[in-house]
Amino acid sequence: MSERSALVRIDDTTWEIPMSARADMRVPARIFADDEILDEIADDLSLEQLRNVATLPGVVGAVIAMPDIHQGYGFPVGGVAATELPDGVVSPGGVGYDINCGVRLLALPLLESELGDRREALVHEISRSVPAGAGKRGALHLRGTSLDDVLRDGPRALPNVRAEDIERTESEGRLEGADPSAVSERAHVRGRDQLGTMGSGNHFVEVQAVEEVLDASAADAYGLREGQVTMLIHSGSRGLGHQVCTDYVRLMDGRLASYRIHLPDRQLACAPASSPEGREYLGAMAAAANFAWANRQAIADSVRRAIAAVLGQGVAERTHQVYDVAHNVAKVEEHGGKRVCVHRKGATRAFPAGSEEIPVVYRDVGQPVFIPGSMGTASFVLAGEPGSMERSFGTTCHGAGRRLSRTAARKRIHGNELRRELEARGIVVRCPSPKGLAEEAPFAYKDVDRVVRVVERAGLARRVARLVPLGVVKG
Amino acid sequence: MYRFVEHTAELEVELEAESAEGVLEEALRAFGELAGPARGEPVEQRVELEATDLPALLAAWLDELVFLAETEGLVPESADISVSGTRATGVVHGRRGRPRPLVKAVTLHRLRFGRRDGAWRGRVVLDV
Repeated sequence: MSERSALVRIDDTTWEIPMSARADMRVPARIFADDEILDEIADDLSLEQLRNVATLPGVVGAVIAMPDIHQGYGFPVGGVAATELPDGVVSPGGVGYDINCGVRLLALPLLESELGDRREALVHEISRSVPAGAGKRGALHLRGTSLDDVLRDGPRALPNVRAEDIERTESEGRLEGADPSAVSERAHVRGRDQLGTMGSGNHFVEVQAVEEVLDASAADAYGLREGQVTMLIHSGSRGLGHQVCTDYVRLMDGRLASYRIHLPDRQLACAPASSPEGREYLGAMAAAANFAWANRQAIADSVRRAIAAVLGQGVAERTHQVYDVAHNVAKVEEHGGKRVCVHRKGATRAFPAGSEEIPVVYRDVGQPVFIPGSMGTASFVLAGEPGSMERSFGTTCHGAGRRLSRTAARKRIHGNELRRELEARGIVVRCPSPKGLAEEAPFAYKDVDRVVRVVERAGLARRVARLVPLGVVKG
Repeated sequence: MYRFVEHTAELEVELEAESAEGVLEEALRAFGELAGPARGEPVEQRVELEATDLPALLAAWLDELVFLAETEGLVPESADISVSGTRATGVVHGRRGRPRPLVKAVTLHRLRFGRRDGAWRGRVVLDV
């Protein structure tokens, strides 16, 4: 309760930790939540970590917590911090190890009722086509394309990529300033055989159906209708991104004294964005982000091949990409007349209608945002709202948000029991490890419906459609 | 000895031994439990590490094990390692396999490594 009592309520969905809470805070911290979610947030170290982020040199406005926030290391997961350029800092830990972890949604020209008893075959074929890790099987071998081409150009460097997929990807799948030479040899080695692989943990490909359309005109613009089958792909930059973050956290940690930066947590290691270390990190991070977009593109291509094998070539050809969003990234943007570096760690860009940063076809309704719920529960399609620009540096939440540790989840259920429960509800499950399955049990996460209702009430994004799982392939 | 500590999303490991080398070996065993088991051919890998301070050396040691698991399929079982100041040199012994890719990276959050209360102790939070 002591954590809660330090919070000042601003309105229905916003609480604030004032700057006066701690002498080293440079800006206040704002939390989007409801009463129940706030109790969960106050239960772990999220708020302390948020106060720590508010000490970063050059941080402006306020540091923001989304309702799916949970304790991380350094930055909390579900946090947003903007630093003023050119001399505000960039912090690799503020992006996280899985640079450009994100989600991509594909929409099939097919209703759940038309999929019928081919559901299991489809899930099975996806599990065969999309490898979890590197190895002989599956990972895309770069024929005629070098890894550095992928780091520089993202999905554009891959063969036979549809122009429409590129257009319907955040930043068109390519961050400016990507510098492959700033990506270490170790990161290259880790990434070499991992393109087109899902990874482990909470990464997945989920077959879903649109259960409910909540905003007809936006759903129409996104090409979604009730009953339609969709595919949600969740993955990131794999070992390459993990190594880039490791390299630059270590580098900046060693240079803090030379920039006279004092931090309450070593994992917040940072350097001025204009410094050699800051510029190099931004170049390497952009390269890793481009790799992640290419990775999700390669996975989407594998998913389309699985669709072709089970449902026919015509269905695969008419499967369109709705959008692809990053939820671990730092981007240079303009907010409130200032050029800032927006760190989104477990948070999603949510630009409103009219933004030139979003595809022309979506410009009247706002940027699509995808919020995966926990395994076996619902996911949401949202649309960015003007409130995000006014209140959260153009950002909304990214998921349900963990509430139980992996060990606690495993203590409550065995993977095989969870598999039976999900299958009893008609959800087909493919997962290499029962342990990994149990760790992602639905009760280990917050209620995604509550989370998205908060961001909608706060005016950051509005609900467009609710999706429910038909099958899941876990990494 | 090593012990995993509850953490909402990540994994914290507490380590204790009679020597600095012992803490690194305990860290290796903890990582081996997360990555293993492996039944492939025995392998050895020489390592040489240098860090800015002792806690950073513990992180660098685990960084190395993450890298070897991911790129060489090495599941570590033991090590002959010697620590001098903030340098560590030695050999990692293990088996080739398909390590569970659970540990993505090693963080500096709550990182500790040093001698305290008559023992060598370490603490590290892993991104999983």
